[in-house]
Amino acid sequence: MTQSLLDSPYVVKAGKILNTKEMTNLEKYFAIELPGQEDLAHDPGQFVMVSLPGVGEAPISVSSSPTKKGSFELVVRRAGSVTGAMHKLGAGDTVGIRGPFGRGFPTKMLEGFDLLFIGGGCGNIPLHSLITFVLDNRSRFGKINILLGCKTPETRLFVDELTQWEQRSDIFVDSTVDQAGPGWKGKVGLITSLIPGVKIDPKRTYAVIVGPPIMYKFVIQELLKREIPDSQIVVSLERHMKCGVGKCGHCQIAQYYCCQDGPVFTYNEIRNNYEAL
Amino acid sequence: MGKVRVAFFDFACCEGCQLQVANMGESLLDVLGAIDVVEFREVMSEKSNDYDVAVIEGSITTPHAVERIKEIRKTAKILIAYGSCATIGGVNGMKNNFDLSDIRNYVYQDKARFFETIPTRAVHQVVPVDYFVHGCPVYLPEFVKVLKCALAGIPYRVPDSAVCTECKLNENECMYDKGITCLGPVTRAGCNSWCVNNGNICYGCRGMVTNPAENGAKDILEKYQIPLEWVENKMNMYNKAREQDTERNPDGKKC
Amino acid sequence: MTKSVILKKTELNHFIEALARSAAVVAPIAKGVKSFAFEEVRDGKTLSLKYIPTILPPKKYFMPQREKIQEFDRKAFRWTPVKENGFEKLVIFGVHTCDLSGIQFLNQVMGEDPKDVNYLARMEKITVIGLECNDYCDSYASCAVMKTHLPSGGYDLFFTELAGSFFVDVATPKGEAIVKGTGLFKDAGEVEKKEFENLRAKKEKIFRQEVKPANENLKGIFARSFRSEVWDDLDRRCVACGNCTNVCPTCYCFDIRDEMDLNLTTGARTRVWDSCQNEEFAKVAGGENFRGKRGARQRHRYMRKFNYPVDRFQRYSCTGCGRCSRTCMAKINLKETIDTLAEALS
Repeated sequence: MTQSLLDSPYVVKAGKILNTKEMTNLEKYFAIELPGQEDLAHDPGQFVMVSLPGVGEAPISVSSSPTKKGSFELVVRRAGSVTGAMHKLGAGDTVGIRGPFGRGFPTKMLEGFDLLFIGGGCGNIPLHSLITFVLDNRSRFGKINILLGCKTPETRLFVDELTQWEQRSDIFVDSTVDQAGPGWKGKVGLITSLIPGVKIDPKRTYAVIVGPPIMYKFVIQELLKREIPDSQIVVSLERHMKCGVGKCGHCQIAQYYCCQDGPVFTYNEIRNNYEAL
Repeated sequence: MGKVRVAFFDFACCEGCQLQVANMGESLLDVLGAIDVVEFREVMSEKSNDYDVAVIEGSITTPHAVERIKEIRKTAKILIAYGSCATIGGVNGMKNNFDLSDIRNYVYQDKARFFETIPTRAVHQVVPVDYFVHGCPVYLPEFVKVLKCALAGIPYRVPDSAVCTECKLNENECMYDKGITCLGPVTRAGCNSWCVNNGNICYGCRGMVTNPAENGAKDILEKYQIPLEWVENKMNMYNKAREQDTERNPDGKKC
Repeated sequence: MTKSVILKKTELNHFIEALARSAAVVAPIAKGVKSFAFEEVRDGKTLSLKYIPTILPPKKYFMPQREKIQEFDRKAFRWTPVKENGFEKLVIFGVHTCDLSGIQFLNQVMGEDPKDVNYLARMEKITVIGLECNDYCDSYASCAVMKTHLPSGGYDLFFTELAGSFFVDVATPKGEAIVKGTGLFKDAGEVEKKEFENLRAKKEKIFRQEVKPANENLKGIFARSFRSEVWDDLDRRCVACGNCTNVCPTCYCFDIRDEMDLNLTTGARTRVWDSCQNEEFAKVAGGENFRGKRGARQRHRYMRKFNYPVDRFQRYSCTGCGRCSRTCMAKINLKETIDTLAEALS
């Protein structure tokens, strides 16, 4: 039963960069096309392993919705050697792509429910995939509340879209920054400060939270106060994926392999997991 | 695009690390295929002030050396600290065990007044360093690896695990099991446990891991009945200049 | 299809020589004062029949420390998956039952979807010849509680040393082919069968549960010990050298690294062993370290032996070989850890 090497989960596809855009000092946007415009066929919340030969691989969340065909989008924060090298690339360059990997957001489960999206910092990137998916399929979902936060006005992501969303009457959008200089007209404060301002019916609401580790603790506390059930609180956890296929061990969160069992979990799955939050 | 211009400079050192490069044998040809060596005192007489990469051997021990390394830093796009003297101060650091004027008089006797001196410092304690190649001497496969990273413009991470890790993978019998004290448990890996593979102990020439487990290390010493001073003395042979660190930065990031 | 045959001890040398004619043969040999390692042999003269578990387990042949999985070309932007065996055929002779269990575990993990093609390709080229421990290797072993002191598959041939001969269990067609091909074996007689049975009976008396809790209670003990003080103690003692995982027959965590050739165009992507005990193992690019404390990393190592694999693979992944305790300079001892955890819960 010899397996072909081409069956190896480590086989890389060449992804062509169609265009790029500097989003912030740290984050850069990439639109990427697979050979033959093959669909990535991902679920919102899934990630890909991006390869730069000679530099290595890094796990990157897909930021576009699967409703977008022919290409997909990544927003990459410059943090390590791969992402650093990636920031030097532009349209026409190629990166290696493996994936998509992992369990994305439970879109089927969310259907028919009211949704409360809470995004912080680069958590807004995977969340963007889900929000755009939901907005593209607006009729399948109930009321939509979107709360977004980040450190400073300069670190805000998807600003143009945010402005468009704010003008829609079928969704509620609110955003804040932790700190801002004098010119800033928007809200200043932690993301938790926005939660009291949303009206929700906890029984029929799914809350989807993506943000830095510290954010989860406080946001979840607030949501529990609002009586959203554990099983209706959805989070996406960041870990150090290396293989993407549940073998290398780097991304393990106690018994879970974040790259396969996650990165999306419901709060009741990880509430008692001493390594999760 | 021309080849990258590389210059080798030496400060307080034995130049043994540069000798390693000169002794590389055939793979030196591969290296020379990738770079243009414009200054290398040990193998050529030409000098140059025009270079992209400066490879620095030796530690900084005089005010003159401080000025010189600052000048080199201004010219070099990439600066590589090369060998223990440059990366951690190395054996030159032993000077810091003594009162500076005492040691100066001891060494230079009645000529001491002609020789200004400062406590031994590693290169990164004076100017920012882009890449570190630890070791006394450097481990050539690691140097080649770092050189490739430098040429490709990507960072090189010095392993931050103990030499034991590599030693175990080489299936060496543990020195402690033979009743011999070895600095492998607290020394940064990356040398493929070169010394132990050849029957020697680890002398700690690559510097300490960032977060050595002090309690654990003490336990080990107690269990093998090794006095702490022995290990401290052994460690200080290469690592005394560590005390000159303000913000340690072992991973090759600019400090 | 098991069948028992006999190899005279005096024929062992011929046997290894015969194997070495058609395959690379590795076997335990003495290394230094009290260490052993699997290394290549050409005859039976240098190998050690009585040995304590080798520094590294035979996993090094199934999953080498450095394994090229791809070659790349940066200019052409091409990756080519590669297989790097290092051997055409390999016979590992003298594998103890603990290590057989380790190999079985790795086979199960790497055979799970998505299958690890490189591992499986190598596995097919390896023949495993087991060797029974008639007595304990040393006091670090805990094979009785892990139930690995007796063979339960995972081999092609299994040797049990008797007074004048080896009693050999032939388990697979590969094993059968060796028996036939070398022509050195004969059928086991009544005398040898009796001698073999006596040996096994004697072993039942020698090998006794080495820790206080019984095998079936281990999972529960670990599952209830996440917040035990034992981990604080290990946090203080561990030096995070990673030896315990490197020498473990069932640790398979790895890193994937790229290295360019000097032409800066071509190069290879390599899988290398990694250790969850290393400081940076669970650190993300942003700097957050999810197992920043040594105690948390030790707990993780133990949980991966006694807790998580039971849910995922329906077995423990500790083989009781004792290597982690034997190699630990800080004297962190698996048997002690188990007993302390059990005691804290009782």
